[in-house]
Amino acid sequence: MKYAIETNDLVKVYDNNFKAVDNLNLFVENKTIGGILGPNGAGKTTTIKMLTCLIPKTSGEAKVAGFDITKEPDEVRNRIGMVPQMVSLYKDLTVRENVELCADFYNVDQSTKDKKIDDLLELVDIKYAQDKYVKQLSGGMQQKTSVVASLVHSPDILFLDEPTVGLDPTTKRVLWDLMVDLNEEGRTIILCSHDMYEVDKICDNINIIDSGKVVANDTPQGLKDQLLSNIEENNKQIRESIFKLEQEGIDENKEQINGLKSSLTDESEKVTVLVSNINEDMLNSLENLDVVQEVTTLGNTRLNISLKRSETSVNEVISTILKNGGNIASIKTNDPTLEDVFVAITAKSRRRINDGT
Amino acid sequence: MERKKIWWMIKKDLLTLWRHKVQFVSLILFPILMIALCGWGMGGTVENTPVVIVKQTSGYITDQAINAIKEDKTFEVKDILSDPDEAKKMVDKGEVKSAIILSSDFEKDGSRNAILYIDSSDQMTTQMVVPTTQRIFASLSEQIEINKIASANRNTNQLTSMKQAIKLQINKIYGEIEYIDFLLPGVLAMTMFMSSMLGLGDSIAGERERGELARLFMTPTSISSVLTGKIISQVVKEMIRAIILILSAMLIFNVVLNGSLALLILVMLISVLCFVGFAMMISATAKTQEDYIQIVMPLAIPMMFICGVFFPKETMPWLLQKISYILPLTYAEDAFRAVMLQGAGLSSIAMDLVVLLMFTALFFIVGVVRFNRDI
Repeated sequence: MKYAIETNDLVKVYDNNFKAVDNLNLFVENKTIGGILGPNGAGKTTTIKMLTCLIPKTSGEAKVAGFDITKEPDEVRNRIGMVPQMVSLYKDLTVRENVELCADFYNVDQSTKDKKIDDLLELVDIKYAQDKYVKQLSGGMQQKTSVVASLVHSPDILFLDEPTVGLDPTTKRVLWDLMVDLNEEGRTIILCSHDMYEVDKICDNINIIDSGKVVANDTPQGLKDQLLSNIEENNKQIRESIFKLEQEGIDENKEQINGLKSSLTDESEKVTVLVSNINEDMLNSLENLDVVQEVTTLGNTRLNISLKRSETSVNEVISTILKNGGNIASIKTNDPTLEDVFVAITAKSRRRINDGT
Repeated sequence: MERKKIWWMIKKDLLTLWRHKVQFVSLILFPILMIALCGWGMGGTVENTPVVIVKQTSGYITDQAINAIKEDKTFEVKDILSDPDEAKKMVDKGEVKSAIILSSDFEKDGSRNAILYIDSSDQMTTQMVVPTTQRIFASLSEQIEINKIASANRNTNQLTSMKQAIKLQINKIYGEIEYIDFLLPGVLAMTMFMSSMLGLGDSIAGERERGELARLFMTPTSISSVLTGKIISQVVKEMIRAIILILSAMLIFNVVLNGSLALLILVMLISVLCFVGFAMMISATAKTQEDYIQIVMPLAIPMMFICGVFFPKETMPWLLQKISYILPLTYAEDAFRAVMLQGAGLSSIAMDLVVLLMFTALFFIVGVVRFNRDI
């Protein structure tokens, strides 16, 4: 089985004729961590509800763990776990009672049930609180209990919907490590989140959904590279248009040319260098480099440099600093983040919808 | 496997009830409060109505009238005045409900007049005070006439037989039934109905809203297993509530139970099943508890009045009487009254029970079919 999740032209239309999912083609490879991103109202939750057999599809096909969600829902349910954003445990039951309830609802073998529960409680480090009522626990501990309840039947696929919302950074990291560990054990993890750092950090592959469709699908780095190449391609087209207009007459097309110029996206590479011994010669040499567009200093030890993107531009900067007696403590390139990718892609998708294309 | 899941649903609900002290105390206190309110607040008997008597003359007949008024439980004589205007002012100010004015010619044969000045805005008191006052003066008039004839040396035996020309024999076939006895079966049915509605609202719509049901429905579990567990736990809770209510009524108000206790429990069980089924059907599609309450209240409140909880259905307009026959509360309330007041056996209430069971089956089928797993 190549894909843990596989949808073909999946559609969901609600009773009020709202099309929440529109011919969705979503693929998540088996035993990977797949991220699902999308703005509010993009159709993520509806998609997850269909994939977890909570609501029926309207049309199309979807397979989860190789089983059809409509024809074999119980097979699907046996192979998936779900950690929802809102902790949906019974607050007046203890941690252990909640997990035992889930184990029995998943028909977990009685002979191994207790050991399995003990192991899982130890795995997330809440065994000491197993006899506490859920309502007595902190948000982080409740979410850990929710994870245990979702894993008690050893699912092949674990869905997590905004699992770290409202949690402190330490607990977040514990949950991220847990997701990675579970994936390394051979489970597929499907993570829905608005936390771009979280998704970037742990996902192997990302599907961005908007208006019920997949609008981008790649690795986190692949998406960032796509964004850069899209910017370059877009700028190239704008520059060609500017050139044509200038040929036709700068004065006549002044307004149009200025408009196009302002729509150019900054495609330079921003580099921050932490360096000791900054001197005039060093700054002059850097400014004279062809690849350098701008150099600014921040305090006595920090250089912010804008570079033309090329394979050698960062090397040239490093050599120039070293030649002029500088000692580099660290160098950081400010590449586009996943958030930049998300904003660019969803904005583009919205423009297409508004334009009717 | 499914039995284990059903058991979990029951165990979970009962553990939650036990651990949620407010809910637990409410389960015990609510029925006691209901019966206490109905017994003391709506007992139906008007007693000790504050009245003032205006005495404008003196004599044997006047004293007889005042004594008769004082002795009647309906009245509590606050004062005996001589000025009718002062007495009327007391009524107008609300200090007393009525003034009984014995006129200055009250001792004169052929021109005895008495006036009842009453605050008719209090309809229930008026309904009680007017006939009671009429009865007192009718009895007094009769006695005056008998005395007159007797003093004219006529045969008093003949007079007595004249007075009893028509003998009315009252035969109360179910014994001395008071309003509280009439009310209890209705209150029992209504309490079970309302608490089933509210209880299952939290149990299904509330859990759906909090996402707890979604977790269960993501497991390989049928909707009917989850609902069966929920229904059984709700039935257990309602039975406890109903038994506390009956015991409270018996202990506090000496309410009569003419029928079999086992049959009463059977009626309670079938009624609760029916009410819980009705609540489950409504909660099947309600996404939140608020949605559920918005649907339930417009149905439940009119049902309490139409189905004869407080007053006999027969006193209602024709259309409402007909509507009451399509409401399950009517049949539950009929069966309760038959068993508790008339001591009816199973055969007498079989039709009510069959109709309740048919409603139950309908509610369950519609509820399970319409129920969706959606969060």
